[in-house]
Amino acid sequence: MSKRRAVWLAGLLALGTIALAQPKTVTGYGNLGVAPGKAGGSLTLALGSAPQTLFYYGAVDSAIQALANQMFDGLIEYNLGNYKIEPGLAVSWSIGGGSKVYTFNLRRGVKWHDGRDFTADDVVFTYSQIVANPEARGGDAGNFAGVKIEKLDPYKVRFTLPKPAPAFIHYMRLPIMPKHKLLPFSQEGGKAPAEINNAWPTNVNPQEVVGTGPFRLQSYTAGQQITLVKNPDYWKRDAEGTALPYLDRLQYLIITDSQARVAQFLAGNLGQINITGAEFPDLKRREVQGAPFKVVQFRALFGSPPHLAFNFDAKNPDLARLFRNSDFRRAIQFAVNRQRVIEDVYNGLAELPGNGMAPVSEWYYDTRKLLGTYDLKAANAALDKLGLKRGPDGIRLLPSGKPLEFTLTYGSNSAAFTGIATILQNDLRQVGVKVNLQGILAANLLSTGRGKDWEAIILGLGDQPDPELRTPIWKPGGALYYWHQSTQPATPEGAPQFNNFLPWEKEIYDIWEKAASTTNVTQRKALYDRWQAIFAREAMVIMIAKEYAAGAVSNRYGNYVYSLGVIPGYNPVPLMFQR
Amino acid sequence: MSAPALRKPRFDRNSPLYLAWRRFLKNKPGVVSLWVLAVLYLTALFAGFLAPYNLTTQHPDAVYQPPQRVRIVHEGRLMRPFVYPMKKERDPVTFINTFVEDKTRPTPIRFFIRQGEPYSFLGLKTDLHLFGVPYSEGYFFPLGSDQFGRDLFSRILVGSQVSLTVGVIGVLISFAIGILLGGISGYFGGWVDTVIQRVTEVLLSIPRLPILMALSTVIPASWPSTYVYLGIIAVLSFIGWAGLARVVRGQVLGARDLDYVTAARAIGASDLRIILRHITPNLTSYLIVTATLALPGYIIGESALSFLGLGIKEPMASWGLLLKDAQNFQSLNLYPWLLTPGILIFVAVLAYNFFGDALRDAADVRSVD
Amino acid sequence: MWTFVFKRFLVAIPTLLLISVLVFAVIQLQPGGFLENMLEDPRVSRETVERIRQQYLLDQPVWVQYVNWLAGVVRGDFGYSFLNNRPVSELIWERLGWTVFLALVTIFATWVIAIPLGIYTALRRHGFGATLANFIGYFGLATPDFLVALLLIFAVLSAGGTSVGGLFSPQYIDAPWSWAKVVDMLGHLWIPIIVIGLDGTASIMRQMRANMLDVLSQDYVRTARSKGLAERVVLWKHAVRNAINPLISIAGLSLPNLISSTIIASIVLNLPTIGPFLYDSLLNKDQYVVMALLMMSAVLLMIGNLLADLALAWADPRIRYE
Repeated sequence: MSKRRAVWLAGLLALGTIALAQPKTVTGYGNLGVAPGKAGGSLTLALGSAPQTLFYYGAVDSAIQALANQMFDGLIEYNLGNYKIEPGLAVSWSIGGGSKVYTFNLRRGVKWHDGRDFTADDVVFTYSQIVANPEARGGDAGNFAGVKIEKLDPYKVRFTLPKPAPAFIHYMRLPIMPKHKLLPFSQEGGKAPAEINNAWPTNVNPQEVVGTGPFRLQSYTAGQQITLVKNPDYWKRDAEGTALPYLDRLQYLIITDSQARVAQFLAGNLGQINITGAEFPDLKRREVQGAPFKVVQFRALFGSPPHLAFNFDAKNPDLARLFRNSDFRRAIQFAVNRQRVIEDVYNGLAELPGNGMAPVSEWYYDTRKLLGTYDLKAANAALDKLGLKRGPDGIRLLPSGKPLEFTLTYGSNSAAFTGIATILQNDLRQVGVKVNLQGILAANLLSTGRGKDWEAIILGLGDQPDPELRTPIWKPGGALYYWHQSTQPATPEGAPQFNNFLPWEKEIYDIWEKAASTTNVTQRKALYDRWQAIFAREAMVIMIAKEYAAGAVSNRYGNYVYSLGVIPGYNPVPLMFQR
Repeated sequence: MSAPALRKPRFDRNSPLYLAWRRFLKNKPGVVSLWVLAVLYLTALFAGFLAPYNLTTQHPDAVYQPPQRVRIVHEGRLMRPFVYPMKKERDPVTFINTFVEDKTRPTPIRFFIRQGEPYSFLGLKTDLHLFGVPYSEGYFFPLGSDQFGRDLFSRILVGSQVSLTVGVIGVLISFAIGILLGGISGYFGGWVDTVIQRVTEVLLSIPRLPILMALSTVIPASWPSTYVYLGIIAVLSFIGWAGLARVVRGQVLGARDLDYVTAARAIGASDLRIILRHITPNLTSYLIVTATLALPGYIIGESALSFLGLGIKEPMASWGLLLKDAQNFQSLNLYPWLLTPGILIFVAVLAYNFFGDALRDAADVRSVD
Repeated sequence: MWTFVFKRFLVAIPTLLLISVLVFAVIQLQPGGFLENMLEDPRVSRETVERIRQQYLLDQPVWVQYVNWLAGVVRGDFGYSFLNNRPVSELIWERLGWTVFLALVTIFATWVIAIPLGIYTALRRHGFGATLANFIGYFGLATPDFLVALLLIFAVLSAGGTSVGGLFSPQYIDAPWSWAKVVDMLGHLWIPIIVIGLDGTASIMRQMRANMLDVLSQDYVRTARSKGLAERVVLWKHAVRNAINPLISIAGLSLPNLISSTIIASIVLNLPTIGPFLYDSLLNKDQYVVMALLMMSAVLLMIGNLLADLALAWADPRIRYE
């Protein structure tokens, strides 16, 4: 081949790629302060823990979730402003066949980091071999049982569901993995199902970890740092047509301790950190005094708002009877000083909570009136009405004559939970209810709650953009419906124990059953509205507060949009640039 | 702890104990430390009376209030001791609470005031406090308040009951085990010795902090907080006794063949009696010194556990737990008074060390760590 | 001597077995574990958790798990980390380098500072310098190390410094070695050395002082002096040499501190050592990692003891191991 012809061919090929490529233009975030940036520069962020693996589906691990967000893409993604679903690796899709058939048209011209083309094969491989693989630790086999996944042509895939699942589109945010790299670990590649977890361990050659995302893995220094570099072929453009991401390098320092993170940020070694309400005043004061950074706050969709739960199956039968009684929980709710929690625990950086849905969510139903206001007189009256008379020392007595006291379990290494527990104990004592605090490690809260050895607990479970994603928590009998465990199935595959349902639990159960197969958005919304209303009315668990997302960013960077926590499909980093 | 040293010697002026006491008195830092410790333990004993507030009483309108100064001059006139009440203002941008003294309302401090929730002292319930400002007139927080508007001074006093006793009880437990097992081991020798030696070796070979952490997560969550306190002491002493047992064994080995022990054995004294009545007293001075020097380890150990969220928990208080509130930059910057418990830990540990050193020099025990 | 070493080795085996049983039991007593917390993620189903439980034999009785672990150790396999899905030995190996480096540097600094100070304070018992040194030593003993760490970082920050954690500035972490990198490291290193070493320095200094005072009052020192030997010779040849001997056994004990004593300091100072790894594993009940690390530290202690005994025999002609 002559040199000239080679150049010609290369040119033609390039032209062809451009013709085929379907870049996505990211616009419309002016109200979030996003403006066109300039290319170049680097940004250093903090990771709260070392990644357990570099394979997203190999572990449930917040560190790899944060990294995967930068290295991979899903078929869909979330709008940074309103959390609505937008095209990602899929440019368009259609839902038909009675809401059971999802067809996706894939973006053309997308390249893996090693230069290979992204095609429908990768999507089919990701969902059929990894996501639906019950042995994959970070997979989602439960939601893909019976789902048929087919490639229609190189840029078209179809999912056929056994029954309508209206939240199914959210599962399309999961990162798509390269078939050509992961085939040797899959069943299709002749391996045992569990073998998939061994893909890309933390000591893998960084060249092996290829995605389609805005950044590519360059190196991992065990326990210290991860370096990502810009993917020059990324498929997003800004409003002016400049290729995204702007940044050349993205570094993550692994810093476990929140004080060490703040220190590194103040020293200028980190470009941005997420902070808590307690850290806000000091940093904000520094900003006001002219420190070179901004501290900002956003109302958050994600994050885990704390709630107070009572064990309906408490070992003490007197308490169990009381805890099951909605009148009792409502009486307690009168003594929950949410305003003070927001003021003193979150330093004002929180709002009244939703019931199961974040207040900024489109699914939120305004339950603020049903939450009741802090009113110790009303609490006293309600407790009196339940026949819980005060004893000689001011503590109310149970029908059996024993004092009304219970233990409240909380996470002693979480400042927020400790604060809430302390405030609750103080206020409840004033209405004659004795609370014994019991601090355990926050990491053990959920396992304690799922056990039988507790009476009341403060726990936070993560909010998600669609209620259906949280079915195991809020649908009676679900795996995480831990406050009334006698509703849960007796055997792993069995049906919930309906005979133990309370009337309103049956009502909620029916709503969730119906909503799970309702595809009409308005009807679904109406159903979930009713659920939230019942939730709040019965004070199923007492929601405490919803924390804002707060963060601090160095003035060296522009286009900072904050997202709380790491959630697949929500990634503002490609828009950030160095001034 | 200080009781044996304080007791007026009944012996003649040439008895070893009296001479040691004289030597001790010459050691200035040691004597000062003894006084410091005496004051600390007395305040711990009378915490309820000295503290103007209850351990858990919250004042939502006085969150993070800085320490109030006691004054005697109001508008140029001399008055009985008083404080100015403070008014909270919240900066709308930074959300920082600032407090301004209300200089128009001097609020006198009352002494021997009766108010608040009764506390029990030596079995009797009373609500008498040494000093305080009537609750109806305002607050008096000598060392400021914490995140919930709780009086730090009162919390430190009540917390000292935990922090100062953790060491004493812990040392007593680990000494009881250590002396008994070390004594048996050294006295009998043979297979008993081998077994006990093996066990102490095992305990000494396990790194301290991880096993402390592991054990303190084992303390059942359903225990009330006083049990948790005892559990933490148990955990700390579980680790502590092995080193002591080893040292006691060595000493007993040396003392076993001394004449008076042989004599005691010859007149038919029981083994236990010989260990407890003849050998152990010989070690007394050595043991007291070791105990004094081991005590600070317990105080520091408790604070380290509390730092990790594994030690004393709300609603109890200890210096370690109180210090945890100061373990961040915002507190160092905005609420520096929260560091006071750290200063007290420092003072107590220092006092124990100086006191122990002085005792050692006085008793002339050479081979003490 | 070799028979002595061999005997010690034989004795160590049952001790190590006992330690492993005890440690394993303590780990098993802990509540919770990483499997329970996996459920919070919307992706994870109960079935997945059960599968992992079976895969790691966590559904088996505790003694079966222990025997399995022991059988693995005999074959040189220290088990798998549940969290990382990788062999424990690999994970430890990755983190060992900096841990050993930091420990050695700290131990070295500790001794280099503590021994001369101990001698000095013993010779000038009541001088101002000695009082100051004593006080600093006591300060080290009396302040919890996490507080020292925080206060140091706070001081550096207030002074406008940027070396507030870790061993390197971010740009040097995976840069190749260069002079600039060494300088950067030295700028970071002094904080961890102070935080980790303060405690040890204080106690060794006190010990050295006590030993010195002890030795100085001994007959042979008096004899040496009365023989008319130069004071320097008396001091260094007779007094210091004999005063250091007892400290050798302490040196042996400081080996296992490589792992455990740096936990809190490493968390606060964000050091790339094994400490935080052990802490995480303890909290998540990643049992084989915990077992491996605790056993390693027990073995280190025994080796340290043995080395100390041998060194003592070498240094002190009165001791012989036959």
